[in-house]
Amino acid sequence: MDIKTITTLAFLMPASAALAVDSPIGGTVAPKCSVWTETSGVYGHPLPYKLSTLPADGGVKASIRVDVAQADYYKTRFTHPASFSSSPTLTDAVAWTGSTVVGQVSVAGMSAYEAAKVTYNNVTEFNMTLAGSTWFTVSSTASYGSTKSLPAGNYTAIIKAECIAK
Amino acid sequence: MCISLSSYAHEMTPAYFKLKPSYIEDVLVTSMKLFNRRDDVKYYDIEVFTFDWKPIPFASEYKTINIGYNKSKLFDVYIRNNDIDKVVYICTQSKLFKRTNQITLITSRICSKIKDR
Repeated sequence: MDIKTITTLAFLMPASAALAVDSPIGGTVAPKCSVWTETSGVYGHPLPYKLSTLPADGGVKASIRVDVAQADYYKTRFTHPASFSSSPTLTDAVAWTGSTVVGQVSVAGMSAYEAAKVTYNNVTEFNMTLAGSTWFTVSSTASYGSTKSLPAGNYTAIIKAECIAK
Repeated sequence: MCISLSSYAHEMTPAYFKLKPSYIEDVLVTSMKLFNRRDDVKYYDIEVFTFDWKPIPFASEYKTINIGYNKSKLFDVYIRNNDIDKVVYICTQSKLFKRTNQITLITSRICSKIKDR
């Protein structure tokens, strides 16, 4: 091997050692909605006839987070309970009240959801005009008869959280 | 009392679905993907609705999907050609077990809408 060949090889070797292959990482963000159930909520029993998720009544409000990946694609709808899904036998009527309010927001503009919400019966609707996470707090109160004592036993009620494409 | 502080999610894509002809005559099909990140839920119902939330008959491999935690499942929804003008929403709704250690429960429903309507 002559000196010219050796010199050429010496230049070529590091060049070939430095060859690299790009390895791209791909990903797609689909325009989707995720409903996160963060706190299920608990009824407190402040009075013999009353069950309430309000902290002042010893309860815990339910917290639901909704993540929207694309602005203005979805609306959310929350239905607070209007009956028990399971309870001891009740012989009198139960009066239900409840509400859904905007809690934390990931984008400041989402605070406007609260003023723009639509409420009917036991349903509250929000128009998700911005992408990001919004926390909703749902409260519920059940009053039995005209101040009758609730029978002892387990009571369960269901909150419905919906995310609907617009 | 039991207070659940963990986060659990329910997702479904696409947000807007398109019905295509299927291998069955006069039947249209679309594919959906359900992702279950709720470890308190194993079953989801599939539902198809009109604009005013009236149910529409449909066929699928599953009417109720059994899906594990952190798993996704693809499913096809078959709809009759006659119903194409009525179909607006395809939804999945979580099914809850009747339990006594949790006093309020949250059921989640996600609905996709037919594209361009």
